[in-house]
Amino acid sequence: MSRIGVFVCHCGENISRTVDVEKVAAEATKLPGVAFSCDYKYMCSDPGQSLLKKAVSEHNLDGVVVAACSPRMHEKTFRSAAKSAGLNPFLCEMANIREHCSWVHEDREEATAKAADIVAMMVARVKKDKKLVPITVPVTKRALVIGGGIAGIQAALDIADAGHQVVLVEREPSIGGHMAQLSETFPTLDCSQCIMTPKMVDAANHPNITLHTYSEIESVDGYIGNFQATIRKKARSVIEEKCTGCGVCSAKCPQKKIPNAFDKNLGVRPAIYVPFPQAVPNTPVIDREHCTKFINGKCGVCQKVCGPGAIDYEQTDELIVEPVGAIVVATGFELYSIGEKPKGSPIKGYGEFGHGTIPDVIDGLTFERLASASGPTGGKILRPSDGKEPKQVVFVQCVGSRAREKGISYCSKICCMYTAKHTMLYKHKVHDGQAYVFFMDARTPGKSYDEFWRRAVEEEEAVYIRGMVSRLYQKGEKVVVMGSDIAVGLQVEIEADLVVLATAVQPRSGADTLAQKLGISYDSYHFYSEAHAKLKPVECATAGIYLAGACQGPKDIPDTVSQASAAAAKVMTLFAKSELEREPIVAKVNENNCVACLYCKKVCPYGAVEEKEIRDRQGNLIRVVAYVNPGVCGGCGTCQASCPSKSVELDGYTDEQVMAMIESL
Amino acid sequence: MTPAKNLLTYSYYPGCSLHASAKEYDESTRGLFKALGIGLKEVPDWLCCGATPAHNVDELLSLSLCAKNLSLADGVEGDLAVACAACFSRLKVTQHHLADSDAKRKQVEYAIDGKVSFDKPVKHLLEILAKDFGLDKLAATVQKPLSGLKVACYYGCLLTRPPEVPQLDCVEAPTIMERVVGAAGADTVAWSHRLECCGANFTLSRPGVVLKLSGEILASAKAAGADCLMVACPLCHGNLDIRQKEIEEATGNRFGMPVFYMTQLLALAVGVAPGKLGFDSMIVNPLPLLREKNLL
Repeated sequence: MSRIGVFVCHCGENISRTVDVEKVAAEATKLPGVAFSCDYKYMCSDPGQSLLKKAVSEHNLDGVVVAACSPRMHEKTFRSAAKSAGLNPFLCEMANIREHCSWVHEDREEATAKAADIVAMMVARVKKDKKLVPITVPVTKRALVIGGGIAGIQAALDIADAGHQVVLVEREPSIGGHMAQLSETFPTLDCSQCIMTPKMVDAANHPNITLHTYSEIESVDGYIGNFQATIRKKARSVIEEKCTGCGVCSAKCPQKKIPNAFDKNLGVRPAIYVPFPQAVPNTPVIDREHCTKFINGKCGVCQKVCGPGAIDYEQTDELIVEPVGAIVVATGFELYSIGEKPKGSPIKGYGEFGHGTIPDVIDGLTFERLASASGPTGGKILRPSDGKEPKQVVFVQCVGSRAREKGISYCSKICCMYTAKHTMLYKHKVHDGQAYVFFMDARTPGKSYDEFWRRAVEEEEAVYIRGMVSRLYQKGEKVVVMGSDIAVGLQVEIEADLVVLATAVQPRSGADTLAQKLGISYDSYHFYSEAHAKLKPVECATAGIYLAGACQGPKDIPDTVSQASAAAAKVMTLFAKSELEREPIVAKVNENNCVACLYCKKVCPYGAVEEKEIRDRQGNLIRVVAYVNPGVCGGCGTCQASCPSKSVELDGYTDEQVMAMIESL
Repeated sequence: MTPAKNLLTYSYYPGCSLHASAKEYDESTRGLFKALGIGLKEVPDWLCCGATPAHNVDELLSLSLCAKNLSLADGVEGDLAVACAACFSRLKVTQHHLADSDAKRKQVEYAIDGKVSFDKPVKHLLEILAKDFGLDKLAATVQKPLSGLKVACYYGCLLTRPPEVPQLDCVEAPTIMERVVGAAGADTVAWSHRLECCGANFTLSRPGVVLKLSGEILASAKAAGADCLMVACPLCHGNLDIRQKEIEEATGNRFGMPVFYMTQLLALAVGVAPGKLGFDSMIVNPLPLLREKNLL
C-alpha cells in the first residue's frame, strides 16, 4: 500500500487553537507513501466528508488517515465515507490529535510536533492494514426484560406489540414495582393504580410475553443476538396452573401478623399471600420463613382449604433456560434508609435523625402508602405510632442525597416534585393541617413541573423553609424538628406530628451482582452505566444489553417510560435483521503456532476463547488449540498481550502494525 | 484496698478547671484510677489549653498553648489522659491541624521555641476505661453496682466533635458513656438532648442563652425519667449544676437533678470512699438520691 491520504481536522478551534494544523498537513506530505494531504475546519461535516471521498478517487488513494478526534467519536463516520468512495472501510484509520494532543497540551510548538508524530505513526500503521469484512452473526428474535416495574412492563409491551417474543422476569411475587405503591402521580395527580394496573394486566395477558414472577436471573451467557439466560423460578409452594386466585388460603392462614413489605410494614399479611389485592399474577406465594408448616410442620391449613389443590409444600426452585437475542435491564431503585448501615459501608446512617428509631419519622414511599386508597389506612393520612391524624407535618428534602458527608453526592431528582405532591395530597385530606417543607433548592424542571410546585406553595399553602434540618427527636407525642431558615438567618424548631423524609434514590440492592452476571458496568453508587451519556443513553457498553428506568440513575415516571420505549426501539432495530453485522476487529489464533497453554482463555474478559480439537481425516485427535469465537470477541487485545508464543493477534492491531508505528517515530 | 494488677500507665493533663471549679472531677479521677490500678502521672508545669476562648481570638495562640502542653507531656511516660472535654477537644484539634499543615507547625514551633510533637495518643478517660481497660474488666471490678440509678449520659457538644477529630465514638449517636456507666450497673435512659450544647462559656457573658439551652437539657433528661445527669466536662457541669436553681426559677420547672462527673459515679461503684469524691462541693445535693438508691 503506498498511496495514503492524510486529512487534518481543525475541529473548529478545538484542535487548531493548540496545534498548527496546516503545518501538520504539510509535514505529512513528506512521509513515505503519502500521496495527498490537506486540512479542513470540520472534517466530520458533509463538505469535509466529500473532500475525503473526492480525494480518494482523484488521487487514487489506497489508504486514509483522518487526524481528528477520538475514534470513539467518528471512526464510523469516516469509515463509511471511505467505503462510499470505494475503499474497504478498514483501510481508514484515525489519528487522535484532539483528546491525545490539543486538549492536553498548551505549548503550540510542542503540540504541533506531537500531532505530526501521531500522524506519522498512523500512516505507518495504515500501510499494514488489511481489508476486513464484517462478521455476521445470527439473531434470536426474543428479548429478555429484567424487572417488572413500569420500565420493564413498558419495554416488554412495546417489544411484544412489535411482534417479538418477550421473557419478563420479576424478583417479587407480582409485577408493578414501585409505581404500584404510589398514591397519585405528579404533575397531573392521576391515580397511579388506575394507570398502572391495566398495564400490568396487559403484560400478563399479552400472547407474546412470558411472565416469570418470583424469579431471578441465575446466569447469562453468550453475546448480542445469542444470549442464554438461566432463570431461577423460586418455589412459590403454589402451583400456578391450578390456582384460581380465590384467596381462601390467605383468609384461612392462621399466621396473620407478618409486616407487609408492600405497605412499607404499615400493615400485616398472612404467610400465604399476594403482595396487594391488584397483584399480577393473582397467585399467592408461601413465605417459607414465616409459615408454620415450614417452621415446625404443624399446620397445612391452606392445603386443606384449597379447592383446586394448588398448594405444594414440596415444590423446589426451578431453573429455566431461555435463549434471547437482546436484554433490557430495568431493575429500578430503592430508597436510602436512614438506619445504621453495616460496618465498612461508605454510606452512613442518620444518627442525628434517630437512625430510623422514631416511629413517626417515615420516608416518602411510606407516605405514599398512607395516602393511597389501597393502602393500609384506606387513604386516610394517619400516623404510624397511634393512628391519629397529624395536624402538623414536616417534610424534609435532600435526606442523604446531595450529601457528600453521607457518601451520596448526587441529586435524587424526583423528591422536589413528590414532596410538593405530598403537601397537596395531605392538604386535600387534612384540610386544617399544615405542611412545612425544609428544602435547599426547588429543582422542578420539566413540562408543567414548576407550575406544580408553585401550586403547592401558593394554593395549598405549604410553608417552604429554605434550610437544613440538623436534628429530629421525640418529645412526648411530638417529633421536634430542629432546622435553620437561611432566608432570615434564624434557627427554627417545629413540633411536628409526622415527619416525612425525602431520602435518596439508590439502585436496587444486588444491582452490582446482576451487573457482574450480565457483564455490564456500573458506577460507584451501583447505578448502571450507559455507553454514552448523550448519544447512547439507553445502550450498555456491552452490545445487545439496554437500560430502562431508575437502575441507570434517578428518574421519574415520564422519563422512565420514555427510556423504556427507547430501549424497546433499540431491541426492535436489532431484531429488524435476521443477521447481525459486527465489526471484524476480532482476535484470530494462528493454529500452527498455538501450544494450547490457554492463557488467552484465562484472561479473556468476554469468555470468547474456547478449546478446539484438531483431528486428522480418520478422526483421530492430533492436538488442541485455542479458538476465538468471533461473535463473542470484544476486540480488546488482552489475549494478544498474554500469548507467550505470539499465536493470537487482533485484526487491525497486529504486532507488525504496532512495530511499524513505533519504528516510524 | 489493694489495687488490681494492671500495667496501664498514663501521663495526665488535668487542665485548669480540675484544679479549681471542678476539683471533684480531679479527685474522683485519681481515686477511680487508683482503685483500678491504673497509673496516672501529672504532666509537670502544664499550662491552660486556652479552652473555648483562645481559638476564637487567635488561632496561633490556641495552637501554641496546646502544642506546649503536648511537648511537656512528651517527657512523661504513657499516653496522655485528659478528663475535661474542652481540653480533650483542643489538644486533639491541635494535633490534627499541625499534622495537616507544615506552615502552621513552623509558626507554632517558632512561638513555643521548640519542636512540636503530635504523635503521643491523647485519650479521653472514657476511651481509656472503655477501650484500654475494658468494659468487662470494669464490670468485674465493681463492688457497689449502681443498680436502680437512672442516669442520663450527657455528652455535650465537644466530646465527639468535630467529626474527624476526636474519633471517640459515632459522632451523632455515640454510646460510649452509656456503655461505661452501664458496666458499673447503672440504668441509662434514652433521651433527646445528649449532644446539645449547654451554652458553654456564655455562662458569664450571655446567661440568658445558657438558661434556655441548659434548661432544655434538664427538662429532656427529666422527661425521660432520669434521676441524675452524668457529664464529662466542667463547663457543662457548671451550667447544669451551678445554674440549675436559676434555671428552675426562670422556667418554673423543678428539676432537683444532681449532676455527677462520670468518675464520681464510677469511683463510687468500684468502692472508693464517698467522702473522697467531692459530693459536698456539688450545688444540687446528690446525697438524698444516693441514699435512696442505697449507694452510700
